[in-house]
Amino acid sequence: MNRSVLYWRAASFAVAAGFVALWQLIADQRLVSPVFLPGPDRAWASLVRGFASGDLLDKLLGTLEHMAYGWFVASIAGIALGAMIGSSRTMRSYVAPSLEFLRPLPVSAVIPVAIAMFGLTQSMALFVIAFGAIWPMLLATIHGFAAVEPRLYEVARSLHMSRLAIIFKIALPSASPDILAGMRLSVTVALILSVVCEILAGLDGLGHWVLLSARSFRSADLFAGVILLGVIGYLTALAMSMVERRLLKWRSSGH
Amino acid sequence: MNRIAAVNQSANGPRPGRAQIAFSGVTLNLGGKAILENISLDVKPGEFLCIIGASGCGKTTALRLAAGLYQPTSGTVAFDGKPMLAPRRDIAIVFQDYGKALLPWRTASGNVSLALEASGMAASQRAARIDELLKKVGLPNHAGKYPAEMSGGMQQRLQIARCLAQEPKALLMDEPFGALDAMTRQGLQDEVLSLVRASDATVVFVTHDLEEAIYLGDRVIGLLPHPGRIGIELKIDLPRPRDQLTTRENPEFLRLRRELFDFIKASEA
Repeated sequence: MNRSVLYWRAASFAVAAGFVALWQLIADQRLVSPVFLPGPDRAWASLVRGFASGDLLDKLLGTLEHMAYGWFVASIAGIALGAMIGSSRTMRSYVAPSLEFLRPLPVSAVIPVAIAMFGLTQSMALFVIAFGAIWPMLLATIHGFAAVEPRLYEVARSLHMSRLAIIFKIALPSASPDILAGMRLSVTVALILSVVCEILAGLDGLGHWVLLSARSFRSADLFAGVILLGVIGYLTALAMSMVERRLLKWRSSGH
Repeated sequence: MNRIAAVNQSANGPRPGRAQIAFSGVTLNLGGKAILENISLDVKPGEFLCIIGASGCGKTTALRLAAGLYQPTSGTVAFDGKPMLAPRRDIAIVFQDYGKALLPWRTASGNVSLALEASGMAASQRAARIDELLKKVGLPNHAGKYPAEMSGGMQQRLQIARCLAQEPKALLMDEPFGALDAMTRQGLQDEVLSLVRASDATVVFVTHDLEEAIYLGDRVIGLLPHPGRIGIELKIDLPRPRDQLTTRENPEFLRLRRELFDFIKASEA
């Protein structure tokens, strides 16, 4: 790590610390009623308490579970469908209009449909999260497969590579930057929809925790939940970009 | 065979007998436009044939027909007496745009490995073969590099190594050095000549560089444009091995260059 990277990292931590300090100041000065705004000290205490009792950990794991399942299903389906649609021009022209209709559909409009179909259940949450998270992945995969360098297909033809070998040795790695970018976007979508589903269907998770805390004016608990959600978002994005950097080492190695 | 090689004063060169690549009456229309018209051409095994012509005359298209990537509208393209209906593993193509023809996510050895994997070579045998091929093209110390970390000349060498991994009977080269600087280009010309001498392969080499064509070839064919057809055919009797200085100073070289130059000028007029 060189000096300037260190410098910028220190600067960004300083800004974050500044915000926390400002928050503490506002809370201490009672500019906002403590019923609604706890200080960072109280939020932190609530976090510690929640983890000590195990409640918050359960909720955290619940949210992570919803998010992971939905994201996993969306990834598998998105990449498989995207590969099929993206690698065939005919498929693209047949399917693209339907996709264009479905894509801008707000997921919030799909939730009542899902509730009618599955009830207030885990399956409903899985369906909604997967439905919402599939789009970035599906569209990125279609684009990635459609943009494979045609020259490489000619190389594959002259080497008599099998269809399977072409998919796994040429198309998939070539589309991997797009696919990974799609996966990074959709992990965030999955988090948002997990919270929404937990709130709407009362499923065990941070969304439910946040809702109950707000309703009973436990502002410190509410903030603890929100902070934890922020941390999940931050860490998953960080993990995805680390995976991306590792897998796409070949891209950044240019002069 | 040996006797003839001795007479030719080159280790290989064209061998008599049946043509290895045979175009007979080949016409190709693409999108209702005639690209090539009535091309008949025999390439002998071991021959180094160069194709030149003004841009847009269909040289690359002719090469793609020889590779089996295109099928003629009429006429036939045959390889070893059998019609070419699809690309063959023993015909390797070196594309001009090496940057697009290599897998950027594979290292140099991974790219060579692609051809070996496709031929079904056991994983245990690949490493030694890859080392040997990379050494052959002068990249023994770059096995772990990605194409993006290599210069243009190195990338083109890598593509050549992958093509040699196919153990081709015929090597089809589409302006392989067109994008390289003059020094790199001359170095690669000599390397290709010695690689070809060692491998016995037939070569069809498309270029727009007249001197390159004369320097490398046993024979040069010039195409006329719109539609592409054969306009000139020159046998190159310059002694081998060729040398960047003496060959290019040879009066016969200069005469041939003049002849081709006039041909191109006339064809563009």
